[in-house]
Amino acid sequence: MSYSRPGSAALAYGTGHKFLAGCVLVSIGILLAAGGGSWDITNHLLNKPETFFAPPHAILYSGVGAAVVGAVLLFSSSKRLGKVVWPAKMAAAGVILLVSAGPVDFVWHSAFGLDGLLSPPHFVLVSGMVLSSMGALAGMAFHKSMSLQNGEPLRLHPALIVIAILPLWLALSGLVDMFTLPFSRTDYFNFDPNPTFAVVFAAIGFPFVIAACLCGASVLAGRRFGAMSITGAAFVVTSMLSAIIPNDALLDTIPFYALNIIPIVAADAILSYRYWRPFRIPVYAAGAIVGITFFMLYYPLIAHTYNEFTNIGRIVWPSVTIPIYFELLATVYPLVVPPAAAMGAVGALAADKIAARNKFL
Amino acid sequence: MLRAIILAGAVGAALAIYFIFSLYVFPQSFQASVKPSRPEALITAVNLSRSDLALGEKLVVSVTGTNRGDRADMQIVSVGFPNFTSPDSIRILQHDFRQRPFTINATDPVGSGYAGTEETVNATYASIEAFSRPWETGSTYTIELEVTPEAEGNFIMVVKAVALPHTWDGAHYPREGTMDYQSEFVDQYSVKVTKP
Repeated sequence: MSYSRPGSAALAYGTGHKFLAGCVLVSIGILLAAGGGSWDITNHLLNKPETFFAPPHAILYSGVGAAVVGAVLLFSSSKRLGKVVWPAKMAAAGVILLVSAGPVDFVWHSAFGLDGLLSPPHFVLVSGMVLSSMGALAGMAFHKSMSLQNGEPLRLHPALIVIAILPLWLALSGLVDMFTLPFSRTDYFNFDPNPTFAVVFAAIGFPFVIAACLCGASVLAGRRFGAMSITGAAFVVTSMLSAIIPNDALLDTIPFYALNIIPIVAADAILSYRYWRPFRIPVYAAGAIVGITFFMLYYPLIAHTYNEFTNIGRIVWPSVTIPIYFELLATVYPLVVPPAAAMGAVGALAADKIAARNKFL
Repeated sequence: MLRAIILAGAVGAALAIYFIFSLYVFPQSFQASVKPSRPEALITAVNLSRSDLALGEKLVVSVTGTNRGDRADMQIVSVGFPNFTSPDSIRILQHDFRQRPFTINATDPVGSGYAGTEETVNATYASIEAFSRPWETGSTYTIELEVTPEAEGNFIMVVKAVALPHTWDGAHYPREGTMDYQSEFVDQYSVKVTKP
């Protein structure tokens, strides 16, 4: 590995491993936090908890704790090498935002009672999650790049790709959720998004996020088949655990949701076919394919976003989520396919340009 | 070239299967098999500590509700006080509902006609809304209130229960009789308030 202090190879070697471990711990921490946050949304819909001490919160704050430890490890190991590289700074900044959101959230609750999905403290929390997971992802790529020979392409191990991309994907999805779900009205404030803005932002934001994350996974694996599919499968499983399984009324739709792996594997096959790699069209096609699955991939919560636009006043109760969702799938989905395909292509292109050219290093 | 064609064909076939199942097979199957839940809301007991009292004295009201049908996403036991415009003279002594009861003041917007928030009206009197979310089959919850009537005469209370989503007539109680300002049936109780 080439670090800035060539005379301290043993130190650099050990420190490099600590650097990577820090990145992994930050990512795993954000994965727990984002997964816990997703479960918390579902828990609020089902059970309307009125106490801070709920299982989703335990997972969420465990994740924050892991991310803090990871950030300390990452920052200190980077400093020992003589220079705090920017991924470490980014991860540390994200974790600082995460941790500072906690007491701010407490003060907000004390002043205004339980807050909705979108509130200033929650926005800070999710922004911190996005920033720290980005920093961790960049850190893993940076760590790998230190060991590359001239001209050798950057290629991460599939396990590292999943650990890096999945929390970023969940955190970005959480950011889009904040501005699309109608869960932010409280006694004191109404931060619910305008329904028209919400449906447009969902049709643009979700496809972009899906395509950028999945195609980014493929590029980080050197466009080899597998990493993208595994990352997609991990997202499907995480969403099932946090949004579908807790609601008994939705258990029958597990096979429907599991089908979402098919377009992801298809896109992975398109991107990994080596004779198509010199061309841009496979990138656009893969991005468009995964982009248009957003309406199915973000089931069941996306029903709330589009229901608010088509039938304001109708509540998407847990027991009627299925008929309302499939009604929207038949009426609304055909209209959002074109913008979703376009934004999916844009997301794939963005990931391809950034990751393939090591623009973040 | 052949490999490319085979790959394109396989991808196309996979996507076709995906969209056929996602947009047709599963939706048709769910429409046929998913039946709306039918919670059955009931008020099983209403106890008043007094049948008459002097002005300034307190009355304890206990209301018990149950669900004899399918699980309700939310079921409400509503105790209304047509003599009050605000809940200032009402105190919740105890309850075992899953969530904290909330209060309604006169002029607050409330749902009507068992349609939830799809149709709203302005409240004309104060009420206490105790609810559990969800309300499981066979579960019973009780709320106990202390009320201080503010004037002499007939002091009236109206009681009802509503399960949401409201999928059939059994999701509300009572099923007939007096209607309140929300166009929903209520049972009416009264005590005589005399001079101190």
